[in-house]
Amino acid sequence: MNASAGLSVAGLDLADIPDRIQSEVQRAIQRSIKGVEYFSSSGPSLGSTPKDILHVRGTMNLYHYRPVEDEIYRVPILIVMATTNRGYILDMVPGQSFIEFLLKRGYDVYMLDWTAPKPEEKGLRMEDYVLDFIPDCIRRVQQDSGETDVTVIGYCFGGVLSLLYGSIFNEGPMKNLICFTTPIDFREMKLFQNFADKRYFDVDRLIDSVGNVPPEMILSSFEMLRPASRAASQVQLWENIWNDEFVKSYRMFDRWATDTLPLAGEYFRDITRDLMWDNKLFNGTMSVGGRKADIADIKVPILHAVAEHDHIVPYDAAKHLIAKVGSDDKEEVMLKGGHVSLVAGANAIRRLWPKLDSWLGGRST
Amino acid sequence: MADKNNDPVVLWQTMIGEMEKGFNSFANQAMASPEFSKVMNQAGGVAAGAQRQLGDLMEKYLLAMNLPSRAQLVGMAERLQSIEGQLNEIKALLQQVHHNSAAPAEGYGTPRPPRTRQPPSPDGGLK
Repeated sequence: MNASAGLSVAGLDLADIPDRIQSEVQRAIQRSIKGVEYFSSSGPSLGSTPKDILHVRGTMNLYHYRPVEDEIYRVPILIVMATTNRGYILDMVPGQSFIEFLLKRGYDVYMLDWTAPKPEEKGLRMEDYVLDFIPDCIRRVQQDSGETDVTVIGYCFGGVLSLLYGSIFNEGPMKNLICFTTPIDFREMKLFQNFADKRYFDVDRLIDSVGNVPPEMILSSFEMLRPASRAASQVQLWENIWNDEFVKSYRMFDRWATDTLPLAGEYFRDITRDLMWDNKLFNGTMSVGGRKADIADIKVPILHAVAEHDHIVPYDAAKHLIAKVGSDDKEEVMLKGGHVSLVAGANAIRRLWPKLDSWLGGRST
Repeated sequence: MADKNNDPVVLWQTMIGEMEKGFNSFANQAMASPEFSKVMNQAGGVAAGAQRQLGDLMEKYLLAMNLPSRAQLVGMAERLQSIEGQLNEIKALLQQVHHNSAAPAEGYGTPRPPRTRQPPSPDGGLK
């Protein structure tokens, strides 16, 4: 028996100190070795679930993921990705892929993903996204699957586009709508509101100068919401660099978070004027390409998943969605986590994905 | 075992976490002011203006060097994009034709599974 067992100083058991020192020294050595490895290797390969490119047109990409089950649900799913970020957040690595999860649960999955709009695409407007890209993809999903009905899933601003699409094309073919962390009351995105303060932010001057809004500007505006978090996460990385699982996860999420897309200039102008300044989606006065887009006209079953600690789309900005849509079959589910961890990572695997499957399965036959 | 409240590593991690929260909260308060928005947008406006002037200057320089202008490159990119789009259309049509052609019973490609799946029953099995 160790003579020092039971003695403690400031809550530290003296008998544990040598073990603790040894463990910290080992970690320090591991940090040095793994630190070199970190800088000399690339991160894990992301978005590797087998898929076919169904259609590419400028910034728009439509993928079909190859089914893995012998029997699939009748209604295919079209995922509409946010226009600021890449779709591989939903298809990280095997075992941590929302797409893989859906395929294994028997869904037929398509994704509308975006690439950086080219300079000549700076004239794309909200109506191009809502009245052209999404309907075009829906048509192609119908053709490819042979089914009329389609379930639409929209993530973040992809949710806004899906809501606008569903408001205008409210007679079908959208059968179900699932939104993840979708803002509708833009007054409640307080910091973004302040950045875009009408008195000081000259959106016309910006767009006329730069054409498309550069990705660095989009990334900076996201990072400014939590300005200390990047530095803190790097400290955290250094502390945990001996831990392969931590490093793998860090690299995946860091790569995705910094892989921001530029936004087409006119589209950004529309977002600023109609949503940030006039809050038209919330007020029920939104129109796209001259067509009224009131979410009260949406009648299909709808599920809205929101995150308790979302700093990008705070709950106050998202909470009115369910109250405002015209559907009888509607549900909001609030889950622990943030804007990204709601849909990807360990949190999502435990919480969101099973919830979504149990909600959608019965509505996909 | 060491008390978690007194473990130096845990204390360090907690301190970093608290500092992060504190700084974020402080910065968010500062950034919520109209003054911040004014200064940020003034700086952004100047940067955008400078970027535009630089762009105009580069355009003139390229012209003087007898290099293709931006408009010409954009025109070429548009033509390439249109060709790319048409190739994709042809590819999709070919796939469709291939799909509809008299393929052997086992098919040339991967057959699509039947769309007959039912959700699991409450007791866990498939209906």
